[in-house]
Amino acid sequence: MLNIIHILNLLLPVLYLITVSAYYVDFIRKTAKLQNLKRYSLLITVALHLIYLLLRTIEFDHLPMTNKFEVFSLLALNIALCYVILEIWSDVRETGLFILTIPVIFQFLSSAFIKDLVDVPTVLNNKLLGIHVVSALLGYSGFAVSAVYGVLYYILYKELKLNKFGLVFNRLPSLEHLEKLSYYSVICGFIFLTFAMIIGIVWLPQAFPNFSYLDPKLISTTVFWIIFGVGIMAKAVGNWYGKKVIKFYLIGFVVAMLSMFFANVLVKSFHVFY
Amino acid sequence: MNLIGISINHRTAPIELREALYLSRDEITELVAYLKENVLSCGFILSTCNRTELFGIHKYGKIDFNLILDALINFKKVDGISAKNFEKYFACSAVNHIFQVSTGIDSLIIGDSQILGQAKEAFQLSEDLNFMDSILRRVYDTSLKVGKRAIKETKIGEGAVTISFAAVQVVEKIFSSLEEKSALVIGAGETGQLAALHLRDLGIGKLAVSNRTIERARNVAEKLDAEIIPFENLKDDLHRFDIIFSATSAEGLLIQFDDIKNVMKKRKGNPVCLMDIALPRDIDPTVRKLDNVFYNDIDSLKVVVDQNLKKRQEEIPLVKNIIMEEMINFYGWYNTLDVVPTIKTMREFFESIANDELEKIKNKVGTEEYEKINDMTRRLLGRLLHNPTMKLREIAEKGVNSEEVARQSLLVKSLFNLNGNDSYENEINEEINRQL
Repeated sequence: MLNIIHILNLLLPVLYLITVSAYYVDFIRKTAKLQNLKRYSLLITVALHLIYLLLRTIEFDHLPMTNKFEVFSLLALNIALCYVILEIWSDVRETGLFILTIPVIFQFLSSAFIKDLVDVPTVLNNKLLGIHVVSALLGYSGFAVSAVYGVLYYILYKELKLNKFGLVFNRLPSLEHLEKLSYYSVICGFIFLTFAMIIGIVWLPQAFPNFSYLDPKLISTTVFWIIFGVGIMAKAVGNWYGKKVIKFYLIGFVVAMLSMFFANVLVKSFHVFY
Repeated sequence: MNLIGISINHRTAPIELREALYLSRDEITELVAYLKENVLSCGFILSTCNRTELFGIHKYGKIDFNLILDALINFKKVDGISAKNFEKYFACSAVNHIFQVSTGIDSLIIGDSQILGQAKEAFQLSEDLNFMDSILRRVYDTSLKVGKRAIKETKIGEGAVTISFAAVQVVEKIFSSLEEKSALVIGAGETGQLAALHLRDLGIGKLAVSNRTIERARNVAEKLDAEIIPFENLKDDLHRFDIIFSATSAEGLLIQFDDIKNVMKKRKGNPVCLMDIALPRDIDPTVRKLDNVFYNDIDSLKVVVDQNLKKRQEEIPLVKNIIMEEMINFYGWYNTLDVVPTIKTMREFFESIANDELEKIKNKVGTEEYEKINDMTRRLLGRLLHNPTMKLREIAEKGVNSEEVARQSLLVKSLFNLNGNDSYENEINEEINRQL
């Protein structure tokens, strides 16, 4: 099984690269043949990625979240999976190039530096923590995908305002589509993050009896959770539309990234495990 | 094949002459009656506001363009028209031209989507008037096939190539689901009507029309199931619409910057798409500075049209490849036409020999033996003639070179003396000349 894991580890970044290349070529040239081929390539890659992580879990007897590079792989899969679901649901296939570039980067890093750890700190072997991490990563993935759609929205918006009708105009879906995709990604991200936070609140006192609710990680996560929550309500109830709503999601994403950097690198949080 | 044709189109004559020469269905019926009696054994006439095409085969195999040219010019007396306004086509070039017309690559607007339907109607009318023969029917079938292949296999018909349609293309880049949107068309003239029609075809949720003259607005609104907005109260209702097309012939601006600013306040910033397809413009172009206001005029939409026309131009070589493929198929079929009588004559010759010999022994053998000999003779003939028959067909279907087909047919005729004429070389030359 270890051999299969190592082969998949080498194969996955290549498969992601091939998939993204197919999306890129189709974006530039728009060929009927590639429309379906690129999706098949993506589905095969995601399926193999799932198998890879399952095999790692079985082989090393823990969820693949015990070091940075395992988390990168998990994140890559989550983003790819998010995109697969959105693409199948909306049948908008032109944005894959932009979103799938993120899994390529994360998977390359993961494959290059991942360690096969069998012995890990006990706290990282906890099942609740496992669910918490997977759920949180799905949350972040949703926000990341939403942010990419938000940026694409702004790019297309600008082109339309300036009456430019080049490749971006011809290939990207409509502004309304991009806004919807961004919104639904945020909703998924928000739901998973909420779930992760609930698990965290339940599990935290057991794992870290001396923890503080003023921990930087907890505060920053709550802040961007509120930002996204307000953004969702503004659209659902306040009928906000277009740039206003997109701006909210992008701000939320930036705050999320900054909070991760802040809590994991700059200050000492109980949340740092590696 | 003595198919001849003349064509007046955007390359050969100005629009005034082309429009003046346009033939209605009744006029085509009348002209066909004249042509049938005096000039052509079969043919068809395609007439639109941009072209008139007259193709056919002369009653007695003559190749004389003046006959059909004079017939057309004398029928529809148009001042200033002459032979120099017509392109002339014959045989292979005629077939090629008909295919090019069907695919839209010969049209003023490349990839014209209407021409295939118009060509179909022209052929259909000809059929109804008993003015078709098997060759022209084959031309018709193949031209339809070529037209459909061009649409399906290339992008020759894709993208907006009119200002109104380009405007709708831009609208679709802003709003995804037009069924939930509302649109207002200001100006019920030709441009406004076209824009309203495009929007209705795309499934716009709510459509409204406004015009200075209420009657014109009413006419358009009734046709397209649209609401009428009184022109005097226009500004009070603007905020209700996500998409506004303006196509009036007003001299000054109808809608000012502040009007749209108020609209955006009432819409709470929800996007609005303004398509100003009037000349001079109806809407103050500075409105584009406002957030979530998308403004386009004719100049910016022309960029979309030019881009799409360029893309269609790039598809022309692909369409020409399709035309070439179908030309080869067409001539493959055409070449078998001469072979069929040769095969028939050859079989008849052998059958007559067999019948003669069977007749001679009929009274010399019993009935049962006679039947057996008859059966054996038929089977023998079938087996002996199978290969020459298949070979002749194969040569005809593969051979685009009609000389080769003529040579092979004549060789068979000569070998078995099917024409009762020993001069093989003379016959070859006569046959080739006849086919050309």
